[in-house]
Amino acid sequence: MNPNPERQQWLDALVQRHEQPLCRYAYSLLGSLSAAQDAVQETFLRLCRETPAKLAGHEAAWLFRVCRSRALDVLRKEKPMQPLAPEHNEQMAAAGPTPAQQAAQGESEQLALRLLDTLPPNAREVIRLKFQHDLSYREIARITRLSESNVGYLIHQGLKTLRQQMSVLQGVAS
Amino acid sequence: MNFNPDDPRWTAYALGELDPAERARLDQVCATDPAARKYVEEIRALAGGLKTALATEPALALRPDQKATIQAKAESPSILRFPLHWALSLGAAAALVLIIGYTLFETRPPQLAQQQPQSEVKQDATIEVALVDEPALELEKFEKELEPMDRVSEMVAASSPAPQAIPPAAKPMHKGWADASALAGSFGGGRVMKRQAVGYERLRSDIADAPAESGIISPSQDDYDVIHENPFQRVADHPLSTFSIDVDSASYAVVRRYLTDGQLPPKDAVRIEELVNYFTYAYAPPTDGRPFAVHLDAAPCPWNPAHQLARVAIKARELDKSSRPAVNLVFLIDVSGSMSSDNKLPLVKRSLQTLAKQLDERDRLAIVVYAGAAGTTLPTTRGDQTQAILEALERLEAGGSTAGGAGIQLAYDTARAQFVTGGVNRVILCTDGDFNVGLNQRGDLESLIENEAKSGVYLTVLGFGMGNYKDSTLELLSNKGNGNYGYVDDFSEARRLLVDQMLGTLVTVAKDVKIQVEFNPARIAGYRLVGYENRMLRKEDFNNDKIDAGDVGAGHNVTAFYELIPAGQPVPGPGQVDDLKYQAQPATPSASTDEILTAKLRYKQPDGDTSVRMDVPLTADQLDREPGRDFRFASAVAGFGMILRDSPLRGAFGYPEVLALAEPNIGDDPGGYRREFVNLVRNAQALAGACNHVPVIE
Repeated sequence: MNPNPERQQWLDALVQRHEQPLCRYAYSLLGSLSAAQDAVQETFLRLCRETPAKLAGHEAAWLFRVCRSRALDVLRKEKPMQPLAPEHNEQMAAAGPTPAQQAAQGESEQLALRLLDTLPPNAREVIRLKFQHDLSYREIARITRLSESNVGYLIHQGLKTLRQQMSVLQGVAS
Repeated sequence: MNFNPDDPRWTAYALGELDPAERARLDQVCATDPAARKYVEEIRALAGGLKTALATEPALALRPDQKATIQAKAESPSILRFPLHWALSLGAAAALVLIIGYTLFETRPPQLAQQQPQSEVKQDATIEVALVDEPALELEKFEKELEPMDRVSEMVAASSPAPQAIPPAAKPMHKGWADASALAGSFGGGRVMKRQAVGYERLRSDIADAPAESGIISPSQDDYDVIHENPFQRVADHPLSTFSIDVDSASYAVVRRYLTDGQLPPKDAVRIEELVNYFTYAYAPPTDGRPFAVHLDAAPCPWNPAHQLARVAIKARELDKSSRPAVNLVFLIDVSGSMSSDNKLPLVKRSLQTLAKQLDERDRLAIVVYAGAAGTTLPTTRGDQTQAILEALERLEAGGSTAGGAGIQLAYDTARAQFVTGGVNRVILCTDGDFNVGLNQRGDLESLIENEAKSGVYLTVLGFGMGNYKDSTLELLSNKGNGNYGYVDDFSEARRLLVDQMLGTLVTVAKDVKIQVEFNPARIAGYRLVGYENRMLRKEDFNNDKIDAGDVGAGHNVTAFYELIPAGQPVPGPGQVDDLKYQAQPATPSASTDEILTAKLRYKQPDGDTSVRMDVPLTADQLDREPGRDFRFASAVAGFGMILRDSPLRGAFGYPEVLALAEPNIGDDPGGYRREFVNLVRNAQALAGACNHVPVIE
């Protein structure tokens, strides 16, 4: 039935490992769960056309970059996104952290997340790629088509702003 | 070196992103400087906190049916059975067919699928449905994988391996750090309290703020409007072709930047007319007192010898440098955080310093900056006080977020306060296009610019950098302001725009220049305008003086090409409209005249409101001319643009043909621009060739 079990394993492993990170990433770009899922599905379908040798060593960067490109295509082709349909909000709420998890989560981390969303979109994107997806500056540069130094600058500046604002806010609180 | 918290290398160090040599140097500093150690610890703590916090965001996954589709595709052993040369030769357009192609293998012998790839497209939907209805066994398998929460967190952890060793850096990390470290301030510092922190909501509102047509796009994505290539038109159905002149050349610099960086440019970044108009051609200037001269000629079309390529060549009157009018310039400079990289603000400074040295006592110059807030850095200063101007430029620093609207208002106010009657009054906006204005404000901004243009203060927009470059926004703004627009990628481009062309760019000899071409159906069956896609006008706009169009500066040349299909040949494209039953029959084509077409031009004097018209015919004896050097070179540039845009209309015209046409016609080439073009074509050729062998990452 399947003449190439190795290739099959390779594909399975990549899908397994990157499905959820890619969905989160696409969602952060698109703001719509179904659009994010479509972008990720398209990414994996494209992966099926590649060979392990071609992508060796930069599979993650390849996947994120293709996914980003799919997401941007969606944004480019469609009118600006409509507000989330109610079903999406429910889905999101259902998928969110439980109250218990929220309680366990440190307040300063909540704060950091909220502040992250106030950064410029490009800073937000590279910070997510760095700290949510653990990609190197170099990989992020390949994904976003920025230069490595530009990535480094955005992360540096973004963290600096977060630090300053957290200390101000925590100072006010205490 | 010393510890400097504004140096991004310290953040890179804390995150394990430096190469070993650099890391060793920073290790040494850390060993002696407690402030450095404290900084590194704080960054690591913040990084750890962010990681933890981001990991608590909702886990998202594909729907089971999507996973099933992927699984089905993965299991079809297509790559192995699929002949590789087939996939490569069909190229990008065949991608869809390729996917379908291999799902077909389940039921068909491969040869059949190969022979009829096009005819199978329609079956796509059926096949996809079939895949969704996979056996229940497969679906179960995926649901099992998705279910348990602990599995999910395991998978997230697995996707985040321990920090990897730094890949052997291809480029040194420090390029650009020097400028970045010189920054003072931060972006958005302290303003966060006023903003709403609504998670994902903001990105979506950013998207909604973008103009609907260009549909922007996203974090740090260069933003280009989609261009649909002008198709062939039948003269019988569309005897008139109307467009606005365009003397911008920004697209050329964008294309050069991509090719120099080793990437093919995105299709929609390539505007063919801007490539062609980048170069200077030796067209004869007007001798009849008009602001410009118009020349028409035609030769066999390089990419389709059965067609003719007609050229509309416009040359504006030259101005003597010593007789140039006084200028009143207000530089409006974006000093937001995104301008810090060394191809942005530092390049702006150097460019403006060079321009400042050309000014004299008749001129006025002021500098307004905008970021978190707008302010005047240099009040209006006489042009001979070069030192004061240079010092003000030297003091500029990037930092802060962008408030473009307030800055533009201030710049216009400054320009109007010093208005030079009979002189050049202009706001010169230098930015990477990161305007922090919302949708409504964007409309306000456009009407502000439009109104100010009526008062005689025009706008030049210079785009810097690539990362946040919002091409469509900048071009729109300059068009609203009777202005021009350039993209500055390096110092020689800055010099070309600001110094070499300063007179031409700054002194408009005619404004709202429109061209309408009428074709003689007895001679021409069809035509298409090469490029100018976003400059097309409706035919009735030609005589409407309220409709804005492009401006021509002193000494400028403008070129437009029409590809003509001689009468009797078929016109490709959608089918012919039936003859009308009730309408008056059109007059018999005027076979008596030997005119092929007439180019009608309308323009206004720079200070006028009423347009003047001039007509120039192209006669049969001007067809099939042995083209001159400029014609050949310009048509090579147009052909190059068509290749980069992947135009189906270029036929078999490829990079070798571009080179064969361009290289012998370089000529004197003052400035070396044509020679540089030939090198870019070689780059593109190499990159396009390479794409067949390495994975294409899009």
